[in-house]
Amino acid sequence: MSTLLVNAGGLLLMAAIVWWFWLSPSADSESGHDHSHHH
Amino acid sequence: MNEKTALHPALSISGASCQGCVRNIRSALEPLIGGANQVEVSLDQQTVALPEGIDTAEAARLVTDAGYPAKPLGNSSDMKPDQDSVEHDHSDQAHSDKDGHGDGKGDGDQITLTVSGATCASCVNTIEKALKSVKGITGAHMNLADNTATATGHADSQALIRAVESAGYGASVIEDPDAADDQKQADDRKRYRDLLVKMTVSLGLGIGLMAYGMGFGTMMVTEANQWTWINLGILTLAVMVTTGGHFYTGAWKAFRHHNANMDTLIALGTATAWLYSIVVASVPGALPEMARHVYFEASAMIIGLINLGQALELRAKGKTSEAVRRLLDLRAKTARVIRDGEEQDLPVDQVRVDDLIRVRPGEKLPVDGEITEGNTRIDESMLTGEPMPVSKREGDEVSAGTLNTHGSIIYKATRVGSETALAQIIRLVKKAQGSKPAIGRLADTISSVFVPTVMLIAVLAALVWYNVGPEPAVVHMMVAATTVLIIACPCALGLATPMSVMVGVGKAAEYGALIRQGDALQTAGKLDLVILDKTGTITEGHPAVTRFHAVNEDTGRLLALAAGLEQHSEHPLAEAIMAKAKEQNVSPDKVTGFEALNGKGVKGELDGKAVRLGNRKWLESEGVTLDGLAEEADAIAAEAGTPLFLTFGDEAVGVIGVADAVKQDSEAAIRRLHDAGIRVMMVTGDVDATARAIARKTGIDDYRAEVLPEDKATIVSEMRGKGFTVAMVGDGINDAPALAAADVGFAIGTGTDVAIESAGITLMRGSLHGVADAIEISRATVRNIHQNLFGAFIYNSLGIPVAAGLLYPVWGLLMSPILAGAAMSASSVTVVTNANRLRLFKTSHNASKERNQ
Repeated sequence: MSTLLVNAGGLLLMAAIVWWFWLSPSADSESGHDHSHHH
Repeated sequence: MNEKTALHPALSISGASCQGCVRNIRSALEPLIGGANQVEVSLDQQTVALPEGIDTAEAARLVTDAGYPAKPLGNSSDMKPDQDSVEHDHSDQAHSDKDGHGDGKGDGDQITLTVSGATCASCVNTIEKALKSVKGITGAHMNLADNTATATGHADSQALIRAVESAGYGASVIEDPDAADDQKQADDRKRYRDLLVKMTVSLGLGIGLMAYGMGFGTMMVTEANQWTWINLGILTLAVMVTTGGHFYTGAWKAFRHHNANMDTLIALGTATAWLYSIVVASVPGALPEMARHVYFEASAMIIGLINLGQALELRAKGKTSEAVRRLLDLRAKTARVIRDGEEQDLPVDQVRVDDLIRVRPGEKLPVDGEITEGNTRIDESMLTGEPMPVSKREGDEVSAGTLNTHGSIIYKATRVGSETALAQIIRLVKKAQGSKPAIGRLADTISSVFVPTVMLIAVLAALVWYNVGPEPAVVHMMVAATTVLIIACPCALGLATPMSVMVGVGKAAEYGALIRQGDALQTAGKLDLVILDKTGTITEGHPAVTRFHAVNEDTGRLLALAAGLEQHSEHPLAEAIMAKAKEQNVSPDKVTGFEALNGKGVKGELDGKAVRLGNRKWLESEGVTLDGLAEEADAIAAEAGTPLFLTFGDEAVGVIGVADAVKQDSEAAIRRLHDAGIRVMMVTGDVDATARAIARKTGIDDYRAEVLPEDKATIVSEMRGKGFTVAMVGDGINDAPALAAADVGFAIGTGTDVAIESAGITLMRGSLHGVADAIEISRATVRNIHQNLFGAFIYNSLGIPVAAGLLYPVWGLLMSPILAGAAMSASSVTVVTNANRLRLFKTSHNASKERNQ
């Protein structure tokens, strides 16, 4: 039971990381404006 | 270029501030216009000039897409350059804010902020993103090496500060750059001391805890020591918050904005270790007996080690900006001003244009000006890299920051305050030090996805340990996750490029080469063809006597007669002969009845006999035999010189060769370029014979003669088309289009006029060695950046798998989180130290000079 919980928790945590840092709207909209300008 | 039609200002743009931008805009417009040569970009006026009949709306769209917001210039009022923006481009932002033009109301404004709390490449990304998200901002650039951020566009500076603050960092507008420098130094010293205190406290606790654990034989929680560990856990928490609080607040602020940075990793790593330990200490029964181990000492020690790393880094960073500080130190504090006949010592900022200033031997010149009284020798090495003091007399220009070594002079101030050459140099060096070459932008892109990826790896490693690791699995998973988080901090990655650029640009400035852009620094290292303009670049730019030969070896008489004639003339050839006579301490004879004969020469009379100086054809037609001088005359012609024959009565006295002499060190400098594997080509408007003679004399590989000034750019483009990475070396005015067309433009011998927009690199002295120096420094800097980036990448790509426990199945090794903290600090200190190594770099010219001494 605890093995299942730990693994599920870990996977959920990974999904949360991916969602929060890559897929959530605010990160997306900002990087969309990211010109490759250097000043 | 010949087919180039008249261009008219058609677009107003913002955000273009360098030759890189000009190239970007040109290539963006190329498909529409049909040729990049048909586009002219004015950085000063922030306009783009296009041929007639081009769809300006479409052109504006293309330029905007390239990252420079553009709009068509509709009416004449639009055509006027935005004076605000012109000013801002060349003056520090502080002025703009003070004098009311500020808050970025002009197009292409640059607002510079000091930013606090940024520690790594991810921070750079977060801050740049935050700045770009502000309405009106077209570009943002954060320099981690000196903790400043520059935003381009038009926006309220307060909005920028708010954006940076909400991203989790501190920011303030740089009001007065000089005061900001002093302030920054003071802040850095304070921060350094703070970090050392924090480091002592947290390392002290960590070591104490370790000693306690060892002294009492165990870090395991038992019923007997449970309360002691709980109390120690609370103490650890207090120390973590007081000495590492900035990591937690930084991490939280970044997290709220969907960002992750170095703080995130440290906060997560130390918090994981502490949380696990406090759970063990509070409810030991919840875990198997083997897993009741506490890691409080790890949390405290990691914070201590990272504080130590940051303190060392701060100190080393201070050293990299030495070049600028040395320039700042050149400024005189006071000036002895003569007003209404009275001499008074005034603070240098009270000196006005047209003030008369007295400077005694051994004193520094406070402002730029023109000598009105006296002769002296001035040491300009601090500005031009030229080691010998230069003779100056009435009418000569002098620059602020140089040293009067010899006589007492009075001079009239022509440029004061932020207008002096020194102030411009300081501004330029600072700006270039903060710029980021393409190679650095790659590191930033990588690091923005790096931290979240590391978090994923940490969780994955924990799960693997939990599922297949040996007992106590829960301890191993916690240790692996913590270690991965701690070891992976990308601080080394973030520092790799800016540190080296800062040192490299400073080093180049020491050699009298002012680099305007990080990109120029990087490209200069890749050059394989250098195109040199002839006049003033390879040669002195004015005629000089190269040889003289007297029939009876009496060269004194030859020069005395020639000078006696030429003292009446103002022709450049006459000046050359007079200069030679003066150099040889020959006083001119009293020649009378001077007459200049167009296309022939000059003549006069001495002791009733005719004295003539001119070309062979004329003198032979006058019945003088010049056969004895034929050999010498041929030698002069072979060196691209003009032979001038001198006759006294009917007898030939000698021949004087006058030519635009090749600079003494041009040949050696060209040899250095060859040694560096670079082809050297010359373009000149001169006739083929002269060009060939100079090319042969200096060892130039290839030349193009009879080239019109406007065709030089076409040749540059043609050579670039053939696959060469081309540098154009010339003066900043006539050769401006060619300089701009090259991959790197070198404006040479401009002395103190540093504000040349068309060149990527400005050489402060006339010597071609400056080109070779800049290329060598550039190569060394790029090599240093590569080493740093390679080191940082290797460190992370080896460190993470080891931390995750990849060596465990083979050797039974699992890295301790404390070791990870130490390794991480060591990696950033290594990068900074390696960049500092560049400070010791000597160009081959300098090194060989030292050997000879």
